[in-house]
Amino acid sequence: MNEEMKKKNRELIEKSKKIVRDTFVKFQPSESAITWTGGKDSTTNLWLIRQVCLEENIDLPQVITIDEGDAFPEITDFLIRASHKWHIDLKWLCNFDVLKCCQSHLNNTIKIEDLNERNQAELKRIDFELSSFPFEAESYAGNHLMKTVVLNQFIEENNIKLLFMALRRDEQAARRHDEYFTKHEGGYLMPEHTRVSPILHFTERDIWENIKLHNIPYCPLYKLGYRSLGARTASNPGEVGIPAWEQDLENTPERAGRRQDKEKAMERLRKLGYM
Amino acid sequence: MKNVILLTIDTLRKDVLGCYGNKDKLTPFIDSLQDKCIKFTNAHSTGPYTQASFPGILTSSYYLEYGKQKKCSPKRTLISEVLNKSGITTAGFHSNPYLCDYFGWNRGWDVFYDSMQDEVSDTVPYIKGDGINHKVDQWLSSYIKSDNYRPFFLWTHYMDIHEPYIPAREYLDKVDPSIDLSEDEMLNLFKEVILKRDISNQKIVKLLKKLYDAEVRETDDYVRDFFRILEKYDILKDSVIIITADHGDEFGEHGGLSHDGKMYSEIINIPLFIYSNNHTQSEACDKLVSHIDISPTIIYLFGLEPLKAFKGHSLFPLENYPQKGVYGEAIGKTSSHEKETDEPIYFYQEDELRIIYRENDQSWEMYDLNRDPQELNNLINTSAKSEDMKKKLIPQINRWQ
Repeated sequence: MNEEMKKKNRELIEKSKKIVRDTFVKFQPSESAITWTGGKDSTTNLWLIRQVCLEENIDLPQVITIDEGDAFPEITDFLIRASHKWHIDLKWLCNFDVLKCCQSHLNNTIKIEDLNERNQAELKRIDFELSSFPFEAESYAGNHLMKTVVLNQFIEENNIKLLFMALRRDEQAARRHDEYFTKHEGGYLMPEHTRVSPILHFTERDIWENIKLHNIPYCPLYKLGYRSLGARTASNPGEVGIPAWEQDLENTPERAGRRQDKEKAMERLRKLGYM
Repeated sequence: MKNVILLTIDTLRKDVLGCYGNKDKLTPFIDSLQDKCIKFTNAHSTGPYTQASFPGILTSSYYLEYGKQKKCSPKRTLISEVLNKSGITTAGFHSNPYLCDYFGWNRGWDVFYDSMQDEVSDTVPYIKGDGINHKVDQWLSSYIKSDNYRPFFLWTHYMDIHEPYIPAREYLDKVDPSIDLSEDEMLNLFKEVILKRDISNQKIVKLLKKLYDAEVRETDDYVRDFFRILEKYDILKDSVIIITADHGDEFGEHGGLSHDGKMYSEIINIPLFIYSNNHTQSEACDKLVSHIDISPTIIYLFGLEPLKAFKGHSLFPLENYPQKGVYGEAIGKTSSHEKETDEPIYFYQEDELRIIYRENDQSWEMYDLNRDPQELNNLINTSAKSEDMKKKLIPQINRWQ
């Protein structure tokens, strides 16, 4: 890696670190949490926050990961290995009630009446009105119960005021104008909190350069060609067998292997003045 | 048996069409069709925006029947599903994200194009009318030749009038050549004025209306091109074409812009006409009709039995169409963002009276549309008919709760 690239990398990191430092001026580590999926972005994000905490003698906020019931074993392994390496007491969150209702089997039918009160109320809140649905992590109801609900509950129970996220502006066009800090207003079953994305300005290329430069661990699935990792059955490799960082990152969509319909629809609706 | 074609135009106000009395010559082609059309002069949308009106148009049901959900409920029956089961070919072409695959509107179509896999421009996030026509043309060219050709149901929807209003220079010139705005400036008006619902500057509101008018003029050309495609394949003579809008648009008439959760005429009154080669002279019908009547009409045109699931009534035969009120419902949002706290709004109309109920402040309004077409004089506390009209709307409100 040449000097110019190293200089650019330093600038990117310094910008992110400043955002992390600013965050800790406004929020205590004890009322903050870091989300970590085991993907390249959230791993980079965690690495960066951890660096700042070490440099500034700040306690690392609790680190959480959400088990949506359809995880790649490679990601689970990676999370265990990396948390060990970084001495992180990773907190695993899961909507066990949903898994119980489908016996942890994908596509098993979940009857709404079998779910606990909170899950039933949450489905009512998103106007889901069928009496049952097949369990699938990235379906409408599945995504809400397995991710959003679990996260909301965690925020509420731990009195969390701030969540570190790993969104990137170049990840999708809809995020191009996102801000580093976004305040989420509270509502029914939704606790008020702020989200910060310190690596918002990183491109997919920047992420890989940074990982290589600083020897940050990453999940081996990227080596097999995956560019973006979500639920196991909803993610596919970009180019099979070609490591992510060797693919044409600039000219092919990162999330092509992920379910994009919703994201696309939302982006267009935003441009039409909705949402 | 004839083909049935449903041509829906997003955000098209009734009062911009020459055939409904507008003098600005914005719709020369649509106006020229009137000799072969039945024109409905009293047609109503089931709601003020796509999500509230399309359940009416394509499923003959109301928006809130199955709760506030954004997706098309599996409990609704789409006209495409009914026809498809009866062996009629169904094809839909549109570029409205609220009607895409993800929101569940893809059921029952042999061919369904929602444009979501295609690239759209950064400023205008949909495929324009010429692109939609091209897709229809492509499909027809192969379908007509295929061995299993049979009468079809075709739905085509144009998005072009929907904001951001960024008309091509050519059409702006037809409306007002003195307007000198770049694309960026027009986009800026969208962001700074329309999205903020800022009607403080009347001049700017008038300017926006002109941009809108230019989009109407442009869309009229797409309708013309669409008819030419049908002629090219020699199927115009064998087709009945229903033309309507999903809803209108507001330019400050009731304090806002765009089409929020309001139930006034500029948004709820819609154009509706039915073209057929069999018609030899223009005909007008002033009965109160609604979006929910469209799917039953399509069923009738294909000679199928009426469907219990459909709330509306076939417009044909016209003499049998009952004298009845029209109804609509939506979430009563008053900005581009729907908040979780936003609550329903309902309207009911009978003869010249329209009553509106807003859940969030439990307010009632009633207007006499003959005497007060602009709906500025609320009669709810003064009219002797208020209580009677309330009684007719209340069962609908209770139904939702």
